[in-house]
Amino acid sequence: MNAQPVLEVDDLWVHYGTVPAVRKLGLTVGGGEIVGLIGPNGAGKSTTLHAIVGLVPARSGDIRLRGASILGRKPETIARAGISLVPEGRRIFAQLTVEENLRLGLVARTGHNDADRDLGWIEELFPVVREFRARQAGTLSGGQQQQLAIARALVAGPDVLLLDEPSLGLAPTIVDVVFGALTDIRERGVTVLLVEQRAQRTVALADRTYVMTNGEIRMTLTPADADDTERIIAAYMAS
Amino acid sequence: MNHVQALIDAIGEGAVFALIAVGIGLVFGVLRLINFAYGQLIMVAAYALAFPGNWPDAASIGLAVLAAVVASLVMERIAFRPLRTADPSTMLVATFAIAYLLQNGALLQYTYRQQGGLGDSIGTLSGLNQAVTIGSLHIRWVTFLAIGAGLVSLGGLALILTRTSIGLQMRAASMDFRTARLLGVKADTVIMAAVAISGVLAAVAAVVLSISSTSVNPTTGFQETIFVLVGVVAGGIDRLVSATLGAFAIGFAIELVGTELPNSGATPFTSNVYMPSVIYLAVIVVLLLRPAGLFARRGQRTVERV
Amino acid sequence: MRRTTWLQELLAPIALVALLAIASSLWVSSADQSKFQTAIVYVAIVAALYVFVGNSGVLSFGQVSFVAVGAFSAGVMTIPAGTKPGVLPTLFPLLRDHSISNVWSLVLAAGLGGVYAFAVGIPLMRLSGIAAGIATLAVLGITYNLLTYWNSIGPGATTLSLIPETTDYWQATVGAISVILVAFGYQRSRFGRQLRAAREDPAAARAAGIDIHRQRLWAFTLSGALSGFTGGLYVHLLGSIQTNQVYLDLTFLTLAMLVVGGISSLLGAVVGAIAISLFTILLGNSEEGIHVFGWGIKAPAGTSLVGVAVVMLVILLLRPAGITGGREFSLPSTFARPRLRSR
Repeated sequence: MNAQPVLEVDDLWVHYGTVPAVRKLGLTVGGGEIVGLIGPNGAGKSTTLHAIVGLVPARSGDIRLRGASILGRKPETIARAGISLVPEGRRIFAQLTVEENLRLGLVARTGHNDADRDLGWIEELFPVVREFRARQAGTLSGGQQQQLAIARALVAGPDVLLLDEPSLGLAPTIVDVVFGALTDIRERGVTVLLVEQRAQRTVALADRTYVMTNGEIRMTLTPADADDTERIIAAYMAS
Repeated sequence: MNHVQALIDAIGEGAVFALIAVGIGLVFGVLRLINFAYGQLIMVAAYALAFPGNWPDAASIGLAVLAAVVASLVMERIAFRPLRTADPSTMLVATFAIAYLLQNGALLQYTYRQQGGLGDSIGTLSGLNQAVTIGSLHIRWVTFLAIGAGLVSLGGLALILTRTSIGLQMRAASMDFRTARLLGVKADTVIMAAVAISGVLAAVAAVVLSISSTSVNPTTGFQETIFVLVGVVAGGIDRLVSATLGAFAIGFAIELVGTELPNSGATPFTSNVYMPSVIYLAVIVVLLLRPAGLFARRGQRTVERV
Repeated sequence: MRRTTWLQELLAPIALVALLAIASSLWVSSADQSKFQTAIVYVAIVAALYVFVGNSGVLSFGQVSFVAVGAFSAGVMTIPAGTKPGVLPTLFPLLRDHSISNVWSLVLAAGLGGVYAFAVGIPLMRLSGIAAGIATLAVLGITYNLLTYWNSIGPGATTLSLIPETTDYWQATVGAISVILVAFGYQRSRFGRQLRAAREDPAAARAAGIDIHRQRLWAFTLSGALSGFTGGLYVHLLGSIQTNQVYLDLTFLTLAMLVVGGISSLLGAVVGAIAISLFTILLGNSEEGIHVFGWGIKAPAGTSLVGVAVVMLVILLLRPAGITGGREFSLPSTFARPRLRSR
């Protein structure tokens, strides 16, 4: 697999007031990889994603996309540079239609020429977004909204897709759909950084999974560790 | 029959209020800011309308639009943008300062022009104050203009908001600015678009208001804007439609009830001089019953600023 | 050191007011002294406004209503009974045929301001955010409208004149310092601390058993009484008054003073009022001509108001949290007596 780094985070520190939420965090995501980031609540996983997309400022460190620093850029600039975040809680625009939500995804797209082709495979991956095109997004079920949120992020044609707990509050069958889609997404050349609470599934799916507690990365796991429940639990406890 | 006439006049007044409401509501949507300087923006446009003197009417109106758009963009750049992350009260007070600046600037120019009287004529446009007689109705041309301009402007805006990419981005930004930015919506661009459109609407309102009062002075647009500010919040400022309805209702009520009541009598609530009290009292009752506004969706909450 | 912190916090704003009063009464030409007296009354009005807005964090456009009620009640009731039937024939007989002394008129102004604020506050204090702001603006609109047209309670649309001009340096300064003392006492009281806690975190305050509605109502009422009192001071300074002098312009000006100074501290209220007043006086005098390095500069009339607006805007841009940053005064630690303390 082509593992040339697409996204690199180096010695990242993020503070809320005087409290450090992320400490000396380093991680690398290679082209076409799926990388997991797991850890208990409050470990700093979401904060890490927010720092990458420019929603919270970093105290120090560096974040690079294809070798170029994106630290301190505005969220919209980072989105247009090729990083799409599927935020926690989906954050679809409930009062807009499904189609309008997807059209907003196009805003970050830099080359508009092959948008239709991309839309084709995205709708194939998530048929609900085609089926309910004209519906108000707020009327969709939670699982359908999550699929819309991922589809909306993909329409931008990102190099890197960040997902913040996409399985949260979803029925098991929908979780299967979402996790299954990630493999297809990777095959389309999109690199994935997945923040999750479902540790075992994430470790099994991802090429590499970082375990984060108290703002720091404690351990890196591989799919081989997926069945080693004790090792995963131990990693969670190591705080 | 003159009830029909009062009704038409009331719709005209409501239309002007609706225009102002949309200008205020658009900016509120993207900035979470109630722009108290909006009345002065209307005043600036009105002076630009009066400035050329004997130009063709269309050219004067064009100048008014240009002046309002430039003034509102300048306002955004020098005051709103640097204060976007400050406490909301700071940005609000900045709009007081701008209002104060523009109003006193308007007074000051009379000193420079060494003109004693306050008030500039708007030339041939004031001819639109003449009434047309249809049966027993006498309706001023400016009333038709107000209704027509209101329909065209609001219709045009509706098209921009639903059919264009920037319109969709503006709607998304006013629902959830943070998520919109994550999708690549440029905060500055969207805000500038909203501010520029609000400038155009201020100019349209200025044209109608200047014609119907036949002259321009430093308080042109001020009283109307205060009523509209109250109206948009009573209607529900989180949605453009409900905000506009609230303001329209107030304009409509002032004109309709105002003309039906006697205009003298000092005992409270016996004459139309107490109309503002009645309006304000109604607004307070509405807000106590429905703090998010009369026409707001149930369970709707005010969303955060950028 | 810790024991005296509150004293520093209290003395700083009082010292500023006293300094302004003493310096201007000694060194300012008698023609300008009324401008400085106005500045001191503005300090009182803004400090009264601060009691509610600063402590609750709820923006009110309504406090000038209470200033207006105080001003007109104190004004109407101190016009000599002999001349009143002539100048204000439409007054209710009770108001027309009686007059009270200066001091009692200030008490009356404070009482009416407090009662009015309490009555209005009972329903309105349930609101917060924009709804609260607009509802209080509506109260101001009603107050202005009734005062302007109902000539049984006041002068109506005409000017109320012949009011004894009893507010001098002495009264203005004592009045302003009294308002500061009450505001400070409230801020440090249990009620004041509860309201400030609710401002920072309403959910946590509610969980801790704080009744936010009740605390806001107390602050609103106290602020209303103080505002009424300052209205009395104001009217006795002016000698004549029209309703539009206690309406939107004064509302915007006093709110701007508070925010420019720093909305969440009493020191901010005082500093903001003094700073804006001094700029107004300074720029106003430049309209009468000033001399800089031998050049006479004379700005056209009206320039000063434009200048004040620019100054306000610049301060807000440079210091969005206000001149004081919303903090009270404390001596730099190097000046304080060093003493070892264990925590």
